[in-house]
Amino acid sequence: MSNIAGKAYAMNLVTPLAKLTVWANKAVFWAVGTRYFAPRLDGLLTLSMIHYARWVILRDKDFPRLSVEQPKEKLKYGYMMFFSNFNGSWEQYVDSFSAAIPAGLDLLWRKNVGWPTAVPEQPFHRYVEFNQVWTDYYYNAYPMAASNDVKAAKRVKERLRKMVLDTERASPTQFLAQYHAMLKDLQADLGPMDATPIVSLAAEDIAARKRVKTLSQQREDTKAAVLSMRMQSGLATDPSANPSNTNAGESKSA
Amino acid sequence: MPNKNGNAYGLTVLCPLKNDSEDDQSYAAIVRRKLRELPLDEESPLAAVPETYLCRMFVLDDVFYEGDPAGEDHLKSKYLVLVVELHGERDAWLRAMWTHAQDCIQKLWKYCIAFQDVRSADDWVAYIGRCQVDTTFYFMGSTDEPLAEQLKALYLKQELAHFALEHQGVKDPAALQRSFQDFLARVQPDNLSGPTWRAGASSLETAVVGGRT
Repeated sequence: MSNIAGKAYAMNLVTPLAKLTVWANKAVFWAVGTRYFAPRLDGLLTLSMIHYARWVILRDKDFPRLSVEQPKEKLKYGYMMFFSNFNGSWEQYVDSFSAAIPAGLDLLWRKNVGWPTAVPEQPFHRYVEFNQVWTDYYYNAYPMAASNDVKAAKRVKERLRKMVLDTERASPTQFLAQYHAMLKDLQADLGPMDATPIVSLAAEDIAARKRVKTLSQQREDTKAAVLSMRMQSGLATDPSANPSNTNAGESKSA
Repeated sequence: MPNKNGNAYGLTVLCPLKNDSEDDQSYAAIVRRKLRELPLDEESPLAAVPETYLCRMFVLDDVFYEGDPAGEDHLKSKYLVLVVELHGERDAWLRAMWTHAQDCIQKLWKYCIAFQDVRSADDWVAYIGRCQVDTTFYFMGSTDEPLAEQLKALYLKQELAHFALEHQGVKDPAALQRSFQDFLARVQPDNLSGPTWRAGASSLETAVVGGRT
């Protein structure tokens, strides 16, 4: 299980909705893309913890069928798949959604079977937990950065490039004024980043995987160093010449 | 187009797994195990694929039963699900994946129906096209710049933060200006190839490519 990659969490929800409401739900998503309904999801931007999220609504005939031997899917319901990449823990995310855009959630999930409404939180938590599919592998191009860091970095880059142009022929005094102006503009964007702390069992699991890998690499390195020393001192001439010695070294270092 | 939001592309792919087994293990179980064994972060095969913001894979065994009075539903196939957030166009990204992560593709997708006919980048693009499902609604809470721009920006943000901290209270404008010029010469704000952050970097010690941390 690997729901976490650095500061990002990958959530997958698969929830059924009555077949007859598939088109109605698609229409709702179309509507939230328009100016009239878009404010219902403004909270998503306010939350600012999401990198990217998507909803995919499927009927049984939408599931890929690649050969005649593959049985056709025959489902009673349509299915809504929700994939989100967000920062923070599962509880923070689910609670934030429930608190920030309960009306938006109810609008998007109201036709889903068993949807309990976004408030109160406990039934909503249970619904999300029950319908979540665990991610088996998750890659993130910038594990040390939250979504806010990526957005802030863009502002820093643009402002820094402007600073370069503005101060090309500046006197030291003019430079100082521009420098202070740049720092003032970027004062909310310069928080330094670092590796993510271990704040959950999932993160601990990933850290354990890395530790196992590191130990295994160390064992390999030790084996290679011992072999090299033996070859240099003439005790061994070929890695396969005395396998029992190599194995003994391995068991010790293990 | 619902799969796109600005220059960000949301690729959703469901590849049906063969209903078979090997050494008493179902293909679904084998694929899940192989997914969990893939290297992480900067060592991930996806780190070598340009323009990959985020990527996840998992095995979808079945759908959920919501309890009475809902009806019971089951999938007839299990699926290897690939969900990618990428910059630019799908086909270019898939070709890059074929070029840079082919070992990973072969290792995982050989358990999928119809993958045995995939022998080239063109085949791979066509195969994924058959397995792709369209996004209904795509939300972007981040930026849609090319990944190299994002990584350079993160590097600059980190370095400028340190520069500002180290030069707090410097009174001499000329000295500060000289230090800043040295800083610019070192960080090269317009040079995307380096110094910059490595894709997938999970620690500051190994993050910077082509310069000091």
